[in-house]
Amino acid sequence: MLSIRNLSAAINGNEVLRGINLEIKAGEVHALMGPNGSGKSTLGKVLAGHPTYKVTGGEVIFQGKDLFEMEPDERARAGVFLGFQHPIEVPGVSNASFLRLAYNKKAEAEGRDELDPLEFDDFIQEKIKVVKMDAAFLDRSLNEGFSGGEKKRNEILQMSVLEPTLAILDELDSGLDIDAMRVLGEAVNHQKSPKRALLLITHFPRILETVHPDQVHVLSSGRIVKSGGMELAMELEERGYDWLKAEAVGRG
Amino acid sequence: MATLTECNLLPELLVAPRPAAWEPVRKAAETALEGQELPTTKHEDWKYTDLKSLRETHFVPGQYRKVDIKERILPEARGTRLVFVNGHFDPPCSNISALPSGVRMLRLASASEAAGALGSLATPEGSDVFTNLNTARFTDGAYIFVPKNIHVEPVLHVLFVSDQEGAQPTCSLPRLLVVLERGATLNLVEEYWGHGCTLTNSVTEVLVREGAELVHERIQRESPEAFHFSSLRARLDRDARYISRTISLGARFSRQAPHIVLADEGTELTLDGLALLGENQLADTHSFIDHTKPHGTSRQLHKAIVDGKARAVFNGRIFVRPGAQQTDAQQQSRNLLLSEEAQVDTKPELEIFADDVKCAHGAAVGQLDPEELFYLQSRGLNLSTAQNLLTYGFAADLLARIPVASLRRQLRQAVMARTNAQDLASMA
Repeated sequence: MLSIRNLSAAINGNEVLRGINLEIKAGEVHALMGPNGSGKSTLGKVLAGHPTYKVTGGEVIFQGKDLFEMEPDERARAGVFLGFQHPIEVPGVSNASFLRLAYNKKAEAEGRDELDPLEFDDFIQEKIKVVKMDAAFLDRSLNEGFSGGEKKRNEILQMSVLEPTLAILDELDSGLDIDAMRVLGEAVNHQKSPKRALLLITHFPRILETVHPDQVHVLSSGRIVKSGGMELAMELEERGYDWLKAEAVGRG
Repeated sequence: MATLTECNLLPELLVAPRPAAWEPVRKAAETALEGQELPTTKHEDWKYTDLKSLRETHFVPGQYRKVDIKERILPEARGTRLVFVNGHFDPPCSNISALPSGVRMLRLASASEAAGALGSLATPEGSDVFTNLNTARFTDGAYIFVPKNIHVEPVLHVLFVSDQEGAQPTCSLPRLLVVLERGATLNLVEEYWGHGCTLTNSVTEVLVREGAELVHERIQRESPEAFHFSSLRARLDRDARYISRTISLGARFSRQAPHIVLADEGTELTLDGLALLGENQLADTHSFIDHTKPHGTSRQLHKAIVDGKARAVFNGRIFVRPGAQQTDAQQQSRNLLLSEEAQVDTKPELEIFADDVKCAHGAAVGQLDPEELFYLQSRGLNLSTAQNLLTYGFAADLLARIPVASLRRQLRQAVMARTNAQDLASMA
């Protein structure tokens, strides 16, 4: 579903990604781990089309199409979803209206029927149960004054509304307590499907105890330096990242 | 430099009938007018706001005429509404059948009881030429009085319509006086609306006595050709709360001049403003918040959205007098520029003469935030939809605080139409 081939990207002239290669198939869950500054969040933003990052080499093919030929909103309507590490607050726009607008834009692109406010209300009431969100959050302004955990909950709600083909979740676990992490992890599991792929970007392995990855990749200085299974995540839990950096330097 | 008599505004108004009780304050204002002139850009307070086009327009006093106010009716104020057309009371459109007992809401021309308070804040010696012009020559207006400890359930709505008749631009001098006695509470909507080339020069005086609370919406939706001058003078007594919001959508040229005195201890003021401007509109806000006693709190948020060749001016002066200790004053001026030719001039002015105070101000002028745009695009909204949504949100954030549901809805729709955000129609 997603082929990342020799991808390089830079911000303000500094190369942050230096030749990433990654294949993700439908139905798979991949975890991308790495120390701070290794480029893992950058990869998520580049895939979603953040304007500040410049792609300097390589290509990304998503469902047979060149991802970089598409605007960020076209990628979203084609099925790419980025769960933000720091979701943005938008005062004055209610969460429910925003969700409905986003849903209808995607429905329109796919030639499905749009939902009117009443139909959408029925639809969203089911969705908020899965993420255990209080309905009061629907009437509030999008993310405004939400706690870190509430914002993350809202990201997973948006994911469940948009039903993406590829969901990239950037540091879903940051700022969450253990209970909230479990709830959201289970909400993500609930959305696993043979047609959907997940890329979990995380610093800590804990979220992977709830959302089990098929593959784990470790990013260091803009390159994937090691790939493996859950046992690799466990090893990182025990040993940290420094040994990998040393290994990479030794190889380089 | 034109003197007032040269600027063709008013001789006809001089012959308007005047209740005898107003006479002393009118005379004082008339006297103060002698020697006062229309300001030019050489005056510091008018540096960005050129009155040339006003000076070149010949206005005649507006007459009463029949208007259709269907679109302006607020269900919350169905039986608590006063309407004035071109400064004249409009009995068929007014309806005060649901006014709670003891509460007074009537035309000033029959409210001789108001004479003591009238002009007590907008004093002739302490007012500019526009305010004095109103005090000296207004024909009628509204008087609202809420007695001690009465909590007024319905919203009170005062609608001033400016409606040009024939080819000649018309002028009117609306006047509003609001008195809340001790412990009283009230929600008030003061609205300006109109058609054609008109000049509206209004003065509103507000007295909030001890422990009383007034929530006051001030809506300016005049025609795109209109000139609008509005002076608000308010005084807060001990522990009084006053929430005042001014929403400016209309007029080619508008000036808001709120002047609020926190006259005793423990007062709380919220003074919010929103101006939505396009084409050649100019909206100027010169505010003055005067902290005179300890433990006063003021919060001021002024927002402007400026498109086309429009211009927004904000000058927010906060004065903390000696002895006004424990004052907590915060002011924010936030401006959104949507075109290359749009312009914003913002100037906060804090003058603090007490040493134990908490005061902060900030001003921001900018475009839409790229991170916010990216967030919305990443959810499948195209760039222009995302831009419109954020612009709408910038304004709607302030509208969300309006407690009168029907007014909030009306204004959201108006802002949606102006920001091309009709996509969001269900949001209202």
